[in-house]
Amino acid sequence: MTASPVDCKSIDRATIEQFLFHEARLQDEHRYDEWEALWDDDALYWVPMREGADPTREVSYVYDNRARISSRVRQLKTGLRHAQAPQSKLRRTISNIEIAWGDNELMVEANFVLIESRRQALTIWGGRTSYVLVPVGDDIKLRRKTVVLVNCEHPIDNLAFLI
Amino acid sequence: MNMIAPVQARIDYRHLVQDGRLHGSLYTDPAIFSDEMERIFHGGWSFVAHDSEIPNSGDFVVRRVGTQTLLAVRRKDGEIGIYYNRCPHRGASLCQSASGNRSRITCPYHAWTFALDGRLIGLPDEDAYPADFSKADSGLSPVARQDSYGGFIFVNLVPNGISLVDHLGRATDLIDNLLALSPTGRIRLTAGWMKHKMRSNWKMIVENQVDGYHAHAVHGSLITANRVFATVRDRKPTSPTRVRDFGKGHTDIDHPSDYRAAGDKLFRWTGGIAPERLPNYVKAMNDAYGEAEATRLLIEGPPHSMLFPNLSLAEMNIMVIEPISPTESVQYTCPVFLDGADELNERTLRRCEGAMGPAGFLIADDAEIGEHTQQGVSNREPEWIILSRGLDKEIVQPDGVRLAGLMDETSQRGFWKHYREVMSVADGDAA
Repeated sequence: MTASPVDCKSIDRATIEQFLFHEARLQDEHRYDEWEALWDDDALYWVPMREGADPTREVSYVYDNRARISSRVRQLKTGLRHAQAPQSKLRRTISNIEIAWGDNELMVEANFVLIESRRQALTIWGGRTSYVLVPVGDDIKLRRKTVVLVNCEHPIDNLAFLI
Repeated sequence: MNMIAPVQARIDYRHLVQDGRLHGSLYTDPAIFSDEMERIFHGGWSFVAHDSEIPNSGDFVVRRVGTQTLLAVRRKDGEIGIYYNRCPHRGASLCQSASGNRSRITCPYHAWTFALDGRLIGLPDEDAYPADFSKADSGLSPVARQDSYGGFIFVNLVPNGISLVDHLGRATDLIDNLLALSPTGRIRLTAGWMKHKMRSNWKMIVENQVDGYHAHAVHGSLITANRVFATVRDRKPTSPTRVRDFGKGHTDIDHPSDYRAAGDKLFRWTGGIAPERLPNYVKAMNDAYGEAEATRLLIEGPPHSMLFPNLSLAEMNIMVIEPISPTESVQYTCPVFLDGADELNERTLRRCEGAMGPAGFLIADDAEIGEHTQQGVSNREPEWIILSRGLDKEIVQPDGVRLAGLMDETSQRGFWKHYREVMSVADGDAA
């Protein structure tokens, strides 16, 4: 489904924030199908290894197009993905939300702090997320999500959950 | 009460490492870890960097070998200098970032400045030092030995012992096989390194790199969910794939034997890209090697191997294992770009991300199982780990290479046999 010509400027801040909080909660609660349904057909889910990386020449931790997002979700849903069996307990907060209203897209940036509990260990994840959102009918869809971890240039733990 | 502590006996590695079993303490004992740092990582050859990572004068990378932090820098004369990352003045580390470019190296503490060839070329208020102070003797300390093969640079922190070529032995064939996939015989490791915290002993990662037995149990979720990644070859016990022990601790899983048996289809090793989509690469290979040889190379693909102690040629990825403590390691992964194969390189990048690293469909699960294994083996009983699969069925070729079936533990035994030799030599003798 491609974006229909909805005027982005008619979408208010509260609606956009609700979308981000909803997406965060679906990830925290491992609601994989509902999370996947938020994505536009033209999708990119990207976790680079450094800010400003060129993904055509540099390796990323995650660089999922729409098909690979589906593969990721399919693998998690088998229940056999050891790195998420059992699933991590996750809760994240999103703040410092900045929004730029384009003609056809919404460009949103936000900070996040995520606490992961897994087998008695607490891991803190943090970073800045850039979103490109598009209105599709009455819905908002996620077209791009780029997560720059504060520690992306240093060794990181398993990142098998949705960030 | 006798307060005199007994002399610490040397650890008997010939007892701990036996042909079909290993003592669990090998993965947990800090004294063993400390021995390994000295004997294997400081006293033997380890991979440190690839030539293509620092192409231009002043390019540098900072790398850990054993407990030591080293600075590999491209000098003005085009050679590579490898120095301890330590200012000869008061000991500050010179480079804090993992990589970069500098025309000279200036210590952040008192601004002593060194040329790229390690010479001390400037220090503030030089005249304040006594007459016997020697600027010429106060340069950066180079490692005792460095050498390279096929662009892979190795270091050895002790001056005496076998050469790099002797250390590599038959593993040079594996490096050659990888390089031959480039029509110019060159690879580039320029995509950066994924850095993955592993909560397991470094030797577990070595063992797992050439383990043909775990795929169904550990990677079942991928085999179920994503057949494109998972069905490129036969992983059953009937597979024609062999594991091989080349001696000197170097081992592989010989996937090319499976690809050959599977027929004349090119590029199975890429996940099955149609040759029509890589016309310039195929043509360049035909031009470089002749059609028959190019076809053979493109059917067989890259090696899947583990070079003692820390370098894995993991098909189209290079993986490096860095020991941190008995229970922690870091695994580095960089996709291999082939010079003259631009059509393939971005696909290699995307395939690397799909499979490897902390979010990869494969390696995240290996990391998880490694952690379970580390936790399990910290329990004291049973004392021994069983490593005898296929021990009675190994075939020794006339050239000394030892073969067994895909799921046999010949590759792990190959690592451990050499480990036992290196760890058992008398103090002061080089292995």
